[in-house]
Amino acid sequence: MPASSPRNLRSVRDINRRDILFSVARLPNSDTLIVGSSDNKVHELNAGQNNPPDRELADHGRYVTSVRLVGTRTVVSGGYDGRLIWWDRERGEVIRTVAAHTRWVRQLAVSPDGTKLASVADDMVCRIWNATTGERIRELRGHAARTPTNFGSMLYACVFSADGRKLATGDRVGRVIIWNVEDGRQLGAVDAPTLYTWDGVQRIRSIGGVRGLAFNPDGTQIAVGGVGQIGNVDALQGPSRVEVFNWARAERLFFFTGQQGIVNRLVWHPANEWLCAIGGGSNGLVMFHDPARRASIHQGNIPMHVHDVAFNEDHTRLYAVGHQKISVMDLRA
Amino acid sequence: MRKRFCGSGEHVISRRGFLGTMAAGGVAACADMTAIQALAAPEISAELRRNQKRCILLWLAGGASQLETWDPKPGAVTGGPFQAIQTSVPGIHISELMPRMARRLKDTAIIRSLNTRNADHNSAAEMMMRGRPREAGLNYPDLGAVLSRELGQESSPVPDYVAFYFATEGRNMAPSNPGFLGARHGAMDLYTSMIPENIRRNGISEQDHIERADLRGTLSRGFERGRSSLTIDSHSHAYSRVRGLMSSEALFDIGREPQRIRDMYGPTLFGQQTLAARRLVEAGVPFVRVGRAWWDSHGHNFETHQEMVPELDQVMCTLLDDLEQRGLLESTLVITLAEFGRTPNINSQLGRDHFASAWSCSLSGCGIRGGSVYGRSDATGQRVADGEINAARLFATIYRALGINHRKNYHVGARPIPLTDPGTEPIREVLA
Repeated sequence: MPASSPRNLRSVRDINRRDILFSVARLPNSDTLIVGSSDNKVHELNAGQNNPPDRELADHGRYVTSVRLVGTRTVVSGGYDGRLIWWDRERGEVIRTVAAHTRWVRQLAVSPDGTKLASVADDMVCRIWNATTGERIRELRGHAARTPTNFGSMLYACVFSADGRKLATGDRVGRVIIWNVEDGRQLGAVDAPTLYTWDGVQRIRSIGGVRGLAFNPDGTQIAVGGVGQIGNVDALQGPSRVEVFNWARAERLFFFTGQQGIVNRLVWHPANEWLCAIGGGSNGLVMFHDPARRASIHQGNIPMHVHDVAFNEDHTRLYAVGHQKISVMDLRA
Repeated sequence: MRKRFCGSGEHVISRRGFLGTMAAGGVAACADMTAIQALAAPEISAELRRNQKRCILLWLAGGASQLETWDPKPGAVTGGPFQAIQTSVPGIHISELMPRMARRLKDTAIIRSLNTRNADHNSAAEMMMRGRPREAGLNYPDLGAVLSRELGQESSPVPDYVAFYFATEGRNMAPSNPGFLGARHGAMDLYTSMIPENIRRNGISEQDHIERADLRGTLSRGFERGRSSLTIDSHSHAYSRVRGLMSSEALFDIGREPQRIRDMYGPTLFGQQTLAARRLVEAGVPFVRVGRAWWDSHGHNFETHQEMVPELDQVMCTLLDDLEQRGLLESTLVITLAEFGRTPNINSQLGRDHFASAWSCSLSGCGIRGGSVYGRSDATGQRVADGEINAARLFATIYRALGINHRKNYHVGARPIPLTDPGTEPIREVLA
């Protein structure tokens, strides 16, 4: 058994919280986490300690749904107030505030070279920003504002490819669009309608959507995560589900499912060793899948519904954040 | 012959107004003139339209969240992600998901202090449809049946109680129920079609219907001879109205509405059914229930409400505007109500669960002091902090708003059954 494997997954530390954590960014080469919270704030803490002191960076005024690091000093946060806020984490000061979207910001992504920031929101627009200056570079429009049954749609997820040239965005009804970052052209689109349940008979409402996205290392495939079809949309009572596409051919290559719940985040190992899906229902779930063999490596539990995850540099440790808890887990033997 | 009207002062006033208008119009009339005949005279029609009380219940089945509608708690740990917005009434805030209602709160009273102590779908729905918990040995009628009895017009050509409920979930939790009032006050239940299937003529001629009615009458008279039963009486009454109801088909057809009006209500099923409800009350139907299911958001509560509350906001606001423009809002009570609300605590699926300890409803229009709030929940919404009310007080308030004496009794055999339990008082603060 290799020194590091998902099969070794074990808990290192759980840190209990009163709030719900929606997003996490990790300071390189450390256990320091920046988290976005339901208490409307951005917090910084050391997950290497059992009861770490908590440093509040500032109050966002609404749920903070995404935090990302630009370099080691700048944090960008996005929230349900539609704003993006750049913070100097060392000085604890606001660098700038941008009214980025007219509705809830759902997720942020930073390009691998750290120069660009993408934001998606329920105004159904993806905007690309200069990650350093906050200047808006362009906006990407293509997701429908309304669902087929005339309710407002939502734009949940965005991710850059490893080379930073492509960006994927995913919405409530299961549509994923691949964009050319350089000029904003739409390069392709795939649909994962299984991830969206519209119940027009029993409950006349919907649940689901594309919550997690990840490109494979060479950028030719896109993994799309969420929850499969649900019989009872009152809760997340469908199978957690990931579908992998060759996006250029709009061809689904394979899919895998797990325990009841929704996949909120996907991480594709940079050396293609695994694809990690993480999320939850009443409890947390984690799945590691071998994309080359198209076989499961490990499926397990995390002690809370997980909304986001960060890995360390060599992908041997994960930091999961979610419902009233932070969970640190190790993949090393 | 069973007495049709309850004898309350409200009906006397209504008839007095009706007769007064008849006299003013110089029209020879008699007191038992049917509504359909009276509607032929424009000036009488207008008076009738003003005086006849009606009610539309927007039934938010499954339990809408008070925190995402009428009682937001922004900033509280239980508050969720939505903000509160200022309404047109200084000092009153509602969820940001309801911007249209925020602008037109002038006709609406919000009640934020329901403590109904029952968080089970079935029995809570039954209670909130009847204003009282189930009682062994007593089949109490629901609100629609009571209002059919109290507000319905003898020989009305339109149904007295129509209920839309297309979703299958929850349909059996709060079925329409005339109870001891009998089938005459039962609902015309619409589960699958906007236009009642059983009043479509489907190629049967008018002459066929006359002959069928004659045959039924002949058979019934034979059966009834020597028998006396409230049940037989009630069923006979219901059958006798069928031919009148057959002419109601057009009332259900929202395709007859201008596109502009249809657009205002929106394209959703709930919008279409609420538009049909407006058409029905305009034609004299005293009670229409529009069931909007299913709000039971144990998972992803906020996205569920993000989807459903804007629809409620649009439909409810449009309905109130539409009724007002037609001169009907003063005589039509619009209620939003569910079987319960939702927990302030947010569960691990970002959901809210069943909660009956401190939740909200709204009353708009007829008999209501608009722009008011009654009751208060505590800072986190866990308990009623002020003005706690139960289902009986809410129903007493509804009855009073509609001009019905909430202290009156029905009789089941020799047993008097009060509309609301003795000592129950309406919430006078929300009554006009």
